[in-house]
Parts: sequence; structure tokens; C-alpha cells
Amino acid sequence: MKESLSRIVTLTKRNIKEILRDPLSLIFTLGMPLFMEILFYLIFHNMTSQFEMKYLAPGIVVFAESFLSLFVGLLIAIDRSTSFLTRLYVSKAKSYEFIFSYALSIIPIVFIQSILFFIVGGIFDTSLFSINMILAILLSLVTSLFYIAIGILLGTLCNEKSIGGVSSIVIAGQSVLSGMWFPLEGLSEGMITIMNVLPFRNATKIIQNTIVGINDTFNDLVLPLIIVLAYTVAAFIIAIVLFRKKMKSI
Amino acid sequence: MKTAIKINNLRKEYKDIIAVDDLNLEIYEGELFSLLGVNGAGKTTTIKMLSTLVKPTSGDAYIFDYSILKDEEKIKEIIDISMQETAIARKLTVDENIEFYARLSGQSNEEINESKKRMYEAFGLDKVSNKQASKLSGGWQRKLSIALALISNPKILFLDEPTLGLDVIARRELWKIINELKGKMTIILTTHYMEEAEALSDRIGIMKDGKLLFIGNKEELFKKTNKTNVEDSFIEIVSGGNL
Repeated sequence: MKESLSRIVTLTKRNIKEILRDPLSLIFTLGMPLFMEILFYLIFHNMTSQFEMKYLAPGIVVFAESFLSLFVGLLIAIDRSTSFLTRLYVSKAKSYEFIFSYALSIIPIVFIQSILFFIVGGIFDTSLFSINMILAILLSLVTSLFYIAIGILLGTLCNEKSIGGVSSIVIAGQSVLSGMWFPLEGLSEGMITIMNVLPFRNATKIIQNTIVGINDTFNDLVLPLIIVLAYTVAAFIIAIVLFRKKMKSI
Repeated sequence: MKTAIKINNLRKEYKDIIAVDDLNLEIYEGELFSLLGVNGAGKTTTIKMLSTLVKPTSGDAYIFDYSILKDEEKIKEIIDISMQETAIARKLTVDENIEFYARLSGQSNEEINESKKRMYEAFGLDKVSNKQASKLSGGWQRKLSIALALISNPKILFLDEPTLGLDVIARRELWKIINELKGKMTIILTTHYMEEAEALSDRIGIMKDGKLLFIGNKEELFKKTNKTNVEDSFIEIVSGGNL
């Protein structure tokens, strides 16, 4: 157990260094979402409530999480294509230790993202600075698990070249199906139902509702949380099964 | 001589392809054994089965009496591998790569410092210790890759195409390092470079279509083929005398 934990810590440290030393990852995980947060707020906040900071900042937090699918996926795809993972398989490290380490390496990045986007949001709307912000930051760690699981899944299935294109589907899904960039009033009931059963809008709702204030605990928080966690567990199970299978068919 | 690896009717099939066809082979402790063959001959699959990365379809092999089928964990404690792709952590420095592998092998801080010292001395890696692995030349990357495989002090080292794609100087530098390792551990080397096999090997095995066509030392190979170098002998055996 102690040996296993030590290996997970070693692998996690290495993954964090690999991700943070890639300037592109910093641009996409921090720079671009931050730029969008400020730009969209300055341009649109007087036109529609969608872009008031109490809705925009939580939306950006979850939107930025979707980019993490790309980074964890890319790291795994590169580790596979360079035979780095194959080589590590000759060590005592186990499949679940690799999966844990990939997931854990993303958590500090999510933490930094959430704090950054909320603090910058709070500069524009000081009402964001409340106990709800701390709760929202903690919940963002939970919602990020879904995107991390998807990243592990994509990294297991795709190669280094295709991962960018495939993970852009997740990012596009988050943009369109989260409902953060446009008002839902004009959408058909069918479309809204689809959005409500998929994890993207629910993940956004969890963070937005936490910041704005929860009136109906079940519908505003518990139900979206159950939906996101269900997708997360399913994605992790599929990812672990496929990862193990892939590693055994080198 | 003590047997380090004993392979009994080892076979690997992938759908319609027989990658390794009932291979039987014995490799002795401390020798450098080169496995030669054209692409698809089954060299890498053999190495992957022996290093427990791939399960055989049938047959078994014993690494110091540990079965690759039953004693995977024990075998992992005494082997290491340097893959034909330079499998290193690209964004980590040379120093961090050594520390990473040493920690994964379960070494203490003191042992890690020892490992670094040992690898710096043996490979001259101290000159590039703070450089990111991805920014190293191909030659340095291969040196690092082999160094990483030695951190755990393996009894058996698999070198899969260790000099593939390197220039002649970098290749000679690696030969020097591999030559220095001879006798300290059992080394199984696969290569496409015949002069490499000629310069380094104690014994040579030649594979084609998953079968072992020849096994013996250079003198035996030359005698069998009536040639004077490994390349001509290899061509003679693999082509059946048609080239």
C-alpha cells in the first residue's frame, strides 16, 4: 500500500511537470479562458444577464475544465506513442496507479483555474467574494473529474495526432450544451431536455447555482450533481477497462 | 554456464499472423545475445513476451527459473528494458528522469543520489543533467534511455534496437557503453545493424517469420554460411542463399 502510494505520488509529480512545462497548456487552460471571461464581460454584461459575472465566471470555470480533457488525453496519447507507458509497465507500477496519477495531476490545475477565474470575476463584481465562492471552488474539483475521466478515455483510444480533433468535440459540447453562451429561452423543449440529461449543462449549473445562491437544494444542486457524478463514474469505469485492455495488447 | 533465460515452445499469434513460432532458446548468464531478423521476424515480440509485456499464446519461458506466465512480479524485479522508441519523460530534465525512475523502483533518497552518481559517471550525463530530455540530441536521448534501464540494477537487460537512427559517432559511443556492461548482466539485444551484432555479441540468434533459423557464435555462423562477416552470413541464412 505504502509502495503503491509512493509510486502514485511519483507519477503524479511527473505528470504535473509534463503538463505545466508545455506553454500551450498554460495558454489554453488559463490564458484563453481568462481572456474570454474579461472580454465577454466587458462587451456583453449590460446586454444580457448571461454575461453578468455571477453567471459568466462559473461558466468559464467549467468551460476551462473541458480543455483539461485535451491535456490529460494528449499526455496519455504521447506516453503511449513514445512507448513511455510500455516501459513503465516493466516496473512494478499498476494500471490503476497510472490512472490515479493522471487524474490527480489535473486537480491542482483545476484548483488554480477556479481561484483565478473567480478572483478576476470578483474584481468586476465584488458580490462573488463570499462563502459560496469557496464552496464553488470545491465543487469545481468534483465537476472536473468528469472531464478528467473523458480525457483518460480519449487518451487511451486516440493517438497523438487525432486527440486534438476528438477532444474538440468535448470542448464544443461544453460550449453548446452548457447553455452558458446563449439564453435558453429560444431553444426547443427537446433540446433543453437533451441538455438536462447530459453532463455539460449540469456541471455548469452546479457551479452557477452555488455562486448565485441555492433556493431548491435538490433541483439546484443535488440532481445536477447526481447526473454529473453518474457520467463521471461511467466514464472512469470505461476508461479503466479500456486502459487496462490497451496496455495488455501492446 | 548458468542459464539466465530458458524459452520453451514460445508462441505468439495475432489473428492470422504467427509472430513467434514455437521458439526454443537458452541464454546464459552474463552473455550478450543478439537477436537478428528482418522487420516482422518476431524479435520485438519475443522481447515483449520475455519482459512480461505481452502474454504468449502458448509455451513458456523462465527468467532465472521464474515463469513469465506465473511469476510476472518476480521477473519485473530483475529485468529492465530500453525500448526502440526513446521512452523517456520528455519534459523532465535528465536529472529528474533519473530521479523519477529511481523513485519508481522504490529507491531511498540516498540510493537515488547513488544512482545519479553512477549514471553520470557511466554515461557522462552530468554534462546535460539540467537539460530537458526533449531538447537532447538523439544520441544523448538513447544514452539516457539505456541509463534509465540500468537504475534498478537489473540482472537482465533488454535492448531493443538501441542505436536505431543514430549517427555513426553516437552509435560508437553507445557500443562502448554496452561493451562496458558486458559480463555485469545478461543483455539481450535486437538490432538491424549487422556490424553492431558483430562488434558486441557473444552469441547470435537469427529469426525469420517467427522461427529461429540459427543460433551460435560468430565463428559458428561464418563456418555455417562460408562467409566472413555477420551481414553476408545473415543474408545467406535469411534469403536461403538466393541473394
